[in-house]
Amino acid sequence: EKWAVSHPKHPPTRLALQHFDATYAVQLGQLWPSARVALLSERKYGALLNNFSNDDVLAELQANGCRDFISNTDTEAQPCLEQESIDHPVKKSDDDAQQLPPLQLSPNIKCVVFPRGDITRFKPARPDAYRLLGYYLLDAASVLPCLALDVQEGHSVLDLCAAPGGKTLALLQTQAIRFLCVNDSSVSRTLRLRKVLQSYVPKPFLTDQNLRITSFDGTKWGEIERNTFDRVLVDVPCTTDRHSLMEDDNNIFSKNRTGEKRRLPQVQLELLLAGIEAACPGGEIMYSTCTLSHIQNQSVVEQAIHLAREMHGIDLEVVDLKPLTHMFRETFHFTPELPLGEMVIPHLAANFGPIYMCKLRRLT
Amino acid sequence: RSFSLDRAPEKPVTEPSLQSLVDMGFTCTQAERIYESLSKVRRGGAAKNATSTLTALIVLGFNPASVLKVTETCPQLYTVREAQLQQRIDNLRKLGLVEGSLQRMVAHYPQILTVTLKTVKIVVAFLREKCLFTSQQVTNILRDSPAIVLEDLGQLEYKFQYVYFRMGIKQAEMVKSKIFRCTLDEIRCRHCFLERRGLYQTPDKKGQTLIINPKLDSILNVDQATFLTAVAKASAEEYEIFQRLMAREWQGEEKEYGTVDND
Ligand SMILES: C[S@@+](CC[C@H](N)C(=O)[O-])C[C@H]1O[C@@H](n2cnc3c(N)ncnc32)[C@H](O)[C@@H]1O
Repeated sequence: EKWAVSHPKHPPTRLALQHFDATYAVQLGQLWPSARVALLSERKYGALLNNFSNDDVLAELQANGCRDFISNTDTEAQPCLEQESIDHPVKKSDDDAQQLPPLQLSPNIKCVVFPRGDITRFKPARPDAYRLLGYYLLDAASVLPCLALDVQEGHSVLDLCAAPGGKTLALLQTQAIRFLCVNDSSVSRTLRLRKVLQSYVPKPFLTDQNLRITSFDGTKWGEIERNTFDRVLVDVPCTTDRHSLMEDDNNIFSKNRTGEKRRLPQVQLELLLAGIEAACPGGEIMYSTCTLSHIQNQSVVEQAIHLAREMHGIDLEVVDLKPLTHMFRETFHFTPELPLGEMVIPHLAANFGPIYMCKLRRLT
Repeated sequence: RSFSLDRAPEKPVTEPSLQSLVDMGFTCTQAERIYESLSKVRRGGAAKNATSTLTALIVLGFNPASVLKVTETCPQLYTVREAQLQQRIDNLRKLGLVEGSLQRMVAHYPQILTVTLKTVKIVVAFLREKCLFTSQQVTNILRDSPAIVLEDLGQLEYKFQYVYFRMGIKQAEMVKSKIFRCTLDEIRCRHCFLERRGLYQTPDKKGQTLIINPKLDSILNVDQATFLTAVAKASAEEYEIFQRLMAREWQGEEKEYGTVDND
């Protein structure tokens, strides 16, 4: 019988769904059903434009109906284009976002998406005359942590868990980085990352002078290099909610990975602490995940802030990302009123995420 | 009337005369419209059977206005021979469609009388033997969704199995919820939407679920707005996008099946 096909009794995707139903229904309340159906349906991508490519792919993509969501935010929603509030007292009628402090975004990152509700798929990118690909397809929300990291001219940057390299590529688009350190503990994934870089970035930008690729255990980074980087991206391994719901292969919810799954929050904490140590005083750290899990998101950050002070005497402040969420509210659904950090929550009309991000600044 | 004089010479002798139509109770305007719909089926001896078809309908209990409506919706009725028409009506009665239901069915779906006995028998046998509906249930299905007799049996089986296995619904509830009025895509789309929102579960072997599934009737027999507000608790925007995504998912599925078949 067509519908009576027997499936393995507890496929990991099934276990993942049960787990999420139990935890997220409580955590997200009314938002969960909409996030759930989005997670279980086809996701949307964004095309991260490759500034190193010679082809004018932007024009082509725009002709197909896409738009760069980063430069095309509605101007009213750009509280970070500052000054205004000094000359004109803030209008009370408008929402309070205008009173938010300006937020600097990394320059030159462009990412195009199809409009809200449009389910058109991107074609795979084609190589240009120099064999460089015009764009990289990724979850458009995963560009946000890179944007919010605010890389500036001459910065040294550490990407602690970098493979397969989507966020690394986004960071490189700024062309502002003096030295980039790219790390991922998985050797095979680091190889993939190398291939990605080679397909997108011209050789002169990938020299030993400006780039280092390593495969260390990131939790040990504090032992290698401390107080060094202006910017650190800590994009940790997590339950990768979307993947866990859709693919039985390589699934963190499979029975034989129970231990690994249980250790995730601890590994995440250690990675974030290592990233904090690696940053220089005044430097900024971006913690990000692709899960909705409170335990892997806010709790990790809370503990890290606490432990950084206790163990290493490092004081941190949380950088408010509200201006960012306000700016991109037309493109993404953000969970309202998260006490710590910001989160893109999947929704059928804007099926990006989950992406959690929290930015910390080292005060000492 | 000049009307009948003009037309009379062109017409085969067997077409009912204006007088005979008036005698049956039609007004002149109604008769004119009968000629008009007759002209749409100038084949298979339509004209020859027109009188007997009109008579049979009147005998069934329709008044002239309803007869006109039925034949205008389905001029093909004129092509059915008298004996066949009678057989088909008798067969429906035998299947349990009592007076009243039978008339309502024909008024609502006159095409039922253009379907051969054999086709109806195959569908009835399918419902009885493959889907294990009782005779009373089959009668109700035919009464509520007569168009089922012209559906592709493969599609029908797929629809039944979907509701039976995937949704875990028993025959009695299917009949009550008139599932055969809905297309498979409508059923699947609403069901999958609820399922992915966490509001519907396929019952296990013991028929148990962790949540209480909404009644099939409340899923299928309501308009979309009610379905969304009362059952799915979702926005129209979400459902509209979901439908497009589903259409694409299923397209892909069918393609996959296609390649499997070719192997
Ligand atoms: C979410 S993925 C990173 C995705 C990547 N930032 C991107 O945007 O393409 C997490 C990565 O962390 C790596 N990882 C896991 N444990 C690690 C550790 N202890 N140290 C460094 N990397 C680790 C995994 O191999 C995996 O590639």
